[in-house]
Amino acid sequence: MTAEEIITSGKIELYVCGSLPTDETQEVEEAIALYPQVKTEVERIEATLINLAEAISPTLSALVWTYILESIRKVRTLDSGSRTNWAAITGWAAAILFLAGIFWMLKENNNLQDNVQVTTTENVILKEKVTTTESDLAAANEVLTILRSKEYNTYTLPGNQAVAPEAFAKVYYNRTEKIAYIDSKGLPPAPNGKVYQVWSLIMDPLTPTSVGLLSDVAVIEGGIYKFENIPDPEAFGITLEPEGGSETPTLNQLYTLGMVTP
Amino acid sequence: MEQPNSLILEMQSGNEKAFFRIYTLYSEALFGIIYSIVLDEGVAEEVLQDSFIKIWDNRISYNIEKGRFFTWILNIARNSAIDKTRSKDFKNSKKNLSTSNFVDILAGSDNLNQKTNAIGIKRFVDALKPACIKIIDLLYFKGFTQVDASKELKIPLGTLKTRNRNCINDLRTMVLG
Repeated sequence: MTAEEIITSGKIELYVCGSLPTDETQEVEEAIALYPQVKTEVERIEATLINLAEAISPTLSALVWTYILESIRKVRTLDSGSRTNWAAITGWAAAILFLAGIFWMLKENNNLQDNVQVTTTENVILKEKVTTTESDLAAANEVLTILRSKEYNTYTLPGNQAVAPEAFAKVYYNRTEKIAYIDSKGLPPAPNGKVYQVWSLIMDPLTPTSVGLLSDVAVIEGGIYKFENIPDPEAFGITLEPEGGSETPTLNQLYTLGMVTP
Repeated sequence: MEQPNSLILEMQSGNEKAFFRIYTLYSEALFGIIYSIVLDEGVAEEVLQDSFIKIWDNRISYNIEKGRFFTWILNIARNSAIDKTRSKDFKNSKKNLSTSNFVDILAGSDNLNQKTNAIGIKRFVDALKPACIKIIDLLYFKGFTQVDASKELKIPLGTLKTRNRNCINDLRTMVLG
């Protein structure tokens, strides 16, 4: 179609009125893009129709625009305005606080359980100490009972001038029951690999009989050793012997020697 | 009249000032169209407000490459006005207004628009052939499709097109000089 044919077809008038079907609308639009005179024709028809409509328009109040502006601004503020949803915020805050509270309580509970465990351990240790102390006390009482009783006689074994002049040992001896307690407090500590051995002695002829070693086996209480089944001795001697003790006393290592005759 | 494409683009990007200038350019014409349909100034103002709010809300859907902007807003205004006449409260308050057209409005009232050329148009449309008045009323003011209009007027499509063109041509010579 030429520009003139489109212009005289009557389609442009219908196009401006919006009364053309889609296919013919497209046809007119193609012609507008192609021919400037068609576009000018469209503009003229449009201007005529606008003038006609304006001619029958009653006077327009300025309030109409005010109302339109208010409406579009209201919609806009509703759309873009970030309305704060306090209910949701409060809800989330409460949930977070609640979780934090639970974690805090779990932590507290753990701490308390730890404390209980520590306390329990401490209790066990204290109980052991009490038991030890009680048995120590019992042993000390036993020793004290022995020392105070009339069945036991007390002897001091003086130090051998040649070997250990400062040394001494105390013997508490029950002749009837043949029990002796030896207090080693006056003896120097036995060197490594050596041990003190106690001997009961008959003087004439000189017969030493081993009573036992001052070892952990015989200990009763710090430094006090108990020996039983001792043959009637006239004296007690203590020598330093190699570990395990000896058959006969090593006399050049005789630390103390004392008579126990009544 | 050349279409103000740069204004339309500015409005489409959300510029209220551009929208106001477009309102200034087209509001009277749309008001005339709406008034010719609802025939009540108060109701026509209401419909005009709604129409421009719709234009703003849907401004993105218009494409300057396709179709005339005036035709687009003309459709919005006509449809809003026709919807209004179909609403219950409008039907209850109004009686029969089917007989009125733009010429009746022009003839029946002297205190319409004070535009100088309104007088000229009035004089001219008085001389418009009754067939022209009917065609322009249906196609332009009432928004009939060409098929519906040819059925309504009982004339073939081709005749409708030619007659409509001649009528608008007559009008145009008078209006634009």
